[in-house]
Amino acid sequence: MRFKRKGEQPDSAPDVSFLRKHLLLIVGGAAGIIVTLFMMNTLFDGSLEKMTGTTDWANILLVNALVGACIFLFVVELKRGAIRVLLTVVVALLLGFLVTFIFNLDSADRFGRGEFRVQVVSDAEPTENDEVDLQFNKRRGGEFNKPNVVAPVSEIAWTFAGRGGDVVSLLAYAKNRRSDVDLLVELRDASGAVLAAATSASETQVDETFDDLVSVKDAVIAGYELPADGVYTLYARPEEIATGTVLSEALSQSQLAFEALLLGPIERVNRWGVWIQDAITLILLGMSFAIVFRAQQFSLGAEGQLYFGALVSGIIALNSPNIPGIILIPFIILASGTAGFIYGLIPGALKAYLGANELVSTLMLNVVATRFFEMVLNFQLKPPDAGYVASAKFTENAVLPVIVDKTQVTVAVFLLVVVVLLSWLLIRRTPLGYEIRIIGSNLRFADYGGVNSRRTIMLVMAIGGIVAGLAGMHLANGIHRQLILNISFALAFEGVVVALLARLNVLVVPFTGLLYAYLRAGAQFMERDANVSFEVVRMIQAIIILLITAEALVTFFQARQKRADIDEEGHTVESLEAADMN
Amino acid sequence: MFENVIDGIFSAVFVAAILRVTTPILLPSLGALISEKAGVLNIGLEGMMLSAAFTGVVVSAYSQDWFGFETGVAIGPWLGLLLGVCVSLLLSFVLALFHLDLKGDLFLSGIALNIFGSSATVAIMFELTGDRGNTSTLASLQMPFIQLPEFIRDIPLIGGFFFDVFDNQSMMTWVAFIAVFIVSIVLYRTPFGMHLRAVGENPEAAASVGINVKRIRYYALLISGFFAGLGGIHISMGYLQLFQRDMTNGRGFIALVTPSLGGGTPIGAMIASSIFGFFDALGIRIGSLEIPSQLPQSIPYFATVLALVIYALQRRISQRVSEMRTASGAGFDAAFWGSIQRISILHMLLMMVAVIGAVTSGAILSAPNGFGGAEAAAPAGLIIGAASIILFLIGLPFVRNIFSIRENWRASALVTIVSLGIYLTLFLMLFFQPLLALVIGLVLSAAVWFMIGGRVLMRGA
Repeated sequence: MRFKRKGEQPDSAPDVSFLRKHLLLIVGGAAGIIVTLFMMNTLFDGSLEKMTGTTDWANILLVNALVGACIFLFVVELKRGAIRVLLTVVVALLLGFLVTFIFNLDSADRFGRGEFRVQVVSDAEPTENDEVDLQFNKRRGGEFNKPNVVAPVSEIAWTFAGRGGDVVSLLAYAKNRRSDVDLLVELRDASGAVLAAATSASETQVDETFDDLVSVKDAVIAGYELPADGVYTLYARPEEIATGTVLSEALSQSQLAFEALLLGPIERVNRWGVWIQDAITLILLGMSFAIVFRAQQFSLGAEGQLYFGALVSGIIALNSPNIPGIILIPFIILASGTAGFIYGLIPGALKAYLGANELVSTLMLNVVATRFFEMVLNFQLKPPDAGYVASAKFTENAVLPVIVDKTQVTVAVFLLVVVVLLSWLLIRRTPLGYEIRIIGSNLRFADYGGVNSRRTIMLVMAIGGIVAGLAGMHLANGIHRQLILNISFALAFEGVVVALLARLNVLVVPFTGLLYAYLRAGAQFMERDANVSFEVVRMIQAIIILLITAEALVTFFQARQKRADIDEEGHTVESLEAADMN
Repeated sequence: MFENVIDGIFSAVFVAAILRVTTPILLPSLGALISEKAGVLNIGLEGMMLSAAFTGVVVSAYSQDWFGFETGVAIGPWLGLLLGVCVSLLLSFVLALFHLDLKGDLFLSGIALNIFGSSATVAIMFELTGDRGNTSTLASLQMPFIQLPEFIRDIPLIGGFFFDVFDNQSMMTWVAFIAVFIVSIVLYRTPFGMHLRAVGENPEAAASVGINVKRIRYYALLISGFFAGLGGIHISMGYLQLFQRDMTNGRGFIALVTPSLGGGTPIGAMIASSIFGFFDALGIRIGSLEIPSQLPQSIPYFATVLALVIYALQRRISQRVSEMRTASGAGFDAAFWGSIQRISILHMLLMMVAVIGAVTSGAILSAPNGFGGAEAAAPAGLIIGAASIILFLIGLPFVRNIFSIRENWRASALVTIVSLGIYLTLFLMLFFQPLLALVIGLVLSAAVWFMIGGRVLMRGA
């Protein structure tokens, strides 16, 4: 028997403990690599030649590797919390699918309306009768259930004359491929009794017998021999839509929509660029909120700070056409950060020294900033001959250099990496960060412990402002390359979701920002490809916030695990949660 | 030009306009007040208002299809009102459920509801009309307007003015102002109101005497949802007849501040809402002047921030004074300190005007093209800015330390009288010669100073 030194692992199971210890690293690393490879594969259809044939493919690979790194950080930082975040997103997506499904319940309606034609086909001699609606082999048509009209046509009963023994075929068909109407046709005699009826045409009829037919949804009564001379009626209307059809149509449309949502952003490089550029702004905004919320300050001032950052960087860009970019761009970055800092300092000081509610003051200051931006843009920056309210395009030296051709993925990617690292250093490795965390967990304790909480609260809101100002700079100088009205499109609120999903952990914000930007980009393609409103994604966002903040939901689901946790690791779920938050 | 604006401001039409635009702030303000009294401030008012506004428009438009034109027009607005308020109640129930039962954060759940209200209305609007901006293709209806009987016009002196102000106002405006008094009675004269206030002030104490805190808070959130729903209905069906995306335009957030500004009473909330209504209506009317519309539009928001500051400072002063009252016991001179407090409020309001002046000058200097060109605007902007900063700085010592009002009451009096006098003079110059205006302005401001507390200070000194 030999003595074990303190801290030494027992000999019996070294491999298991190694695995246990590094499980998270392995899982996170594997997930990151898999996603990176998957994205490269989808972007270039799995062909290496196509990849190397694309300009800037190395930079695409680099950015995708960074995405993989974000996933790694997400898993390693949040541990079990990562599952919860993913579950929340999945549940919200399912609810979103339900909403899309409900919105698409009317997609089967297109079978019940549209332009149509009817025709009585016969080789027999036409009768001389002008009283009737239809002549043999003459087309006649209309539109069923036309939307937005006072009295839409829902059925037709048109008469034609025939002799006994005439062989007729009755056709009712969609006018062209744009019309999806699904028809039925009936042959009635003068008394109104139905002699023959048909709902669908066969494939051969569509392809060979009758040239006019468009699809099997059209209706044909083929080769009917009229029993006697007289006036007959061709009756046609759209078929009743079966509930099953309604549901399956809605389902297939929703599937189409969600396919666009979930795979759209990585189909092509330009779509991928939309995702990445949006993600950069969102991550910056999320970072701003994560820092501020960390001190339990519910400041929503990022929107106003973003406008000020964009305004300042835009003004500098417009007024310095001759300075080389290598000097100008760092200066613009500094200036926009400073603008955000100052505009964040105002509500910070009001809260810290006067106790003014930061939520309300920041919301009001947002509107003030937006109006100020509009005013300066409208009366100062707009070129006199411009037809709409926007500044002149920035000169090339003031635009962030693009690193992937045909997209607006710029060097902001590297700026972002720096911002993430600095935020992490600030929160985890500086005295100020320590004070921020203490204030966030217990203000009274912080005061008691000698923290200058007023100064810290003021500073934390101002520091959040720096990052939001950078987001404004990115929008102005990276994406739009000019100043436009509504430059933020209320992105700031989306930043709240990003920060919350990351549970205010600055190292996780990049992942949640990417995730959320992915949904937003997907929503654009969903709207374009499947005609489902972009706003569905904002509804998903609201559901995510509700689910992620409802603490009791977690306790409910984790209650069963609790005992096992105590047995295995010696601490409770609460302490794990607390550990997550640090 | 200025004269036209001033004439407009003091007309019955303008007062009527104030009432009209106050209504959609006042109704959610009452909701915010009740929820705040119960300690569960309803951040989701904006989303609830939007949902109710949209539901009202859609239901009233479709009821003409459902019940035929005649019946639809007759019952449509009421059905829209009913269902709109129901939707708003449903959302507030969700908020209450997530906050009170599922222990979600009230603030974040409220934000979620705002996002939901804003997005769901647009998404459904897109499904129904194919348009994501507004519902102008739907033939939606309007809440009825209330006509006053003609004989009121014949009442001597005030009859005509009264008639012009109150005639032909939307029913919802009447509902809003009557609701103020109902809420007052419920809050201060019923057991439920007392429980509600108790729960807000000290939930543990309330629970210890057997009040069901959670249930009271559920009720409070539902009532606030009810008022938000009414406010939303007024926005889309009270004066307009359509829904636009995000048409509440931050009123749900302004409503969160008005109760605090009004000192936490329904009447106070009504007055604070009317001030916002005044600024709103002014912003519409001032459009006839050659200044950028963005400036008057942003002043209410800016004023809210300043008002928040004044409120916070004032709360601190009251606390200080009440501490002194406890400490000095019978020797405490209530009248004296009361007048000091009133004068400090006057100081703050004057500084608030000075800050707004500084902001205005900043706006003039940063966008001179909107104010008639750089040459005309720059001197005006500089003068306004310099004057505002001077007036701000001389007022600052008295706001920082209210004891200096007692010690240097002569300086304080000079500052208040001069500042207020300048503002009044600027205003009176529209009617009188400048010199006469200055004299009248100074006399008026001295009178104001004397009335609100100067006489006590002079005697005390």
